[in-house]
Amino acid sequence: MKEKNGNIENQFNSLKKESPFRVPENYFETFADRLNIRIEEEKRSVNKRTLFTYLRPAVAIAAIFVLVMLLIYVPFTKLLPSGSGNIAQNRSEKNVDDSVFGIQGSLISNFSEEQLLAAFSALSDLDSKNLSSENLADYIAANYSSYEILADN
Amino acid sequence: MDLNEKELIDKLKSEASREQAFQLLVKTYQQRLYWHIRKIVMNHDDTDDILQNVFIKVWKNIDGFREDSSLFTWLFRIATNESLSHLQKQRRHSIVSINEINDYLSESLESDVYFDGDDIQKKFQLAILQLPNKQRIVFNMKYFDEMKYEEISEVLKTSVGALKASYHFAVKKIEEFLKEDPK
Repeated sequence: MKEKNGNIENQFNSLKKESPFRVPENYFETFADRLNIRIEEEKRSVNKRTLFTYLRPAVAIAAIFVLVMLLIYVPFTKLLPSGSGNIAQNRSEKNVDDSVFGIQGSLISNFSEEQLLAAFSALSDLDSKNLSSENLADYIAANYSSYEILADN
Repeated sequence: MDLNEKELIDKLKSEASREQAFQLLVKTYQQRLYWHIRKIVMNHDDTDDILQNVFIKVWKNIDGFREDSSLFTWLFRIATNESLSHLQKQRRHSIVSINEINDYLSESLESDVYFDGDDIQKKFQLAILQLPNKQRIVFNMKYFDEMKYEEISEVLKTSVGALKASYHFAVKKIEEFLKEDPK
């Protein structure tokens, strides 16, 4: 095989001597200069990248924070639909409480009997028509001080 | 590794002398690397781009050069890898099969204004272009650059036995091509 390869190589030897390829005139003489221009461009782009390199960790941390918040907040709001119903219910209860506490925080004498009956019927689940003046008076007497009842009198 | 090469590497790794040493490196190796790349990609313009990329890679990575191999071997390895990457990119962008990439390279040769060969030389180059890329590189390094198998083995990270077989098959294929297509 070695001998055979040797014969083939002998056939090719005449072709090997001269390269059929050429280069543009002064190509190798000017190559270093063109390369230097490319290297300078590379250096400039590296400097530009440096600013981003400094900012990159902060940007990455901010992005991770937003992502984590989304990952927590979105499933939480999606997976707990009853939670929003409870909130609405809590809100209506709060309104009732506010109306009662609004009365409780104020002087009884500032309100008419009708206003007081409406407020206390909401609190005690009784129809204001079934709530008598006596019931109201008992309730006021039990829960309010004399000052709150009689301040204006 | 001879002393001159060792000195050159030391100067390249020193910030103070890097620029000057790099100019020397370019001057020393530009022609050998150019012809090595040119025989792989055929076209002058592509060769010019790849050669610049090779030296820029060297500039950027010289600190990481561990000196396990000679500087010459390292440079040839980078040049070979860059050339093969270029051919793979060409293949990905517009060409799909190995036959088509060989056709593309043949067309590049036919239309190359910087090819001065006569008909016999052109036919010989076309025969070489029929080889698979790796086999073609082995053939070029052994036949044209007259490198030893041991040197080629270091550059291509392939065993000497595999290189010998590869070269043998390359020679056979070229011979067959020239016999089949004698025009």
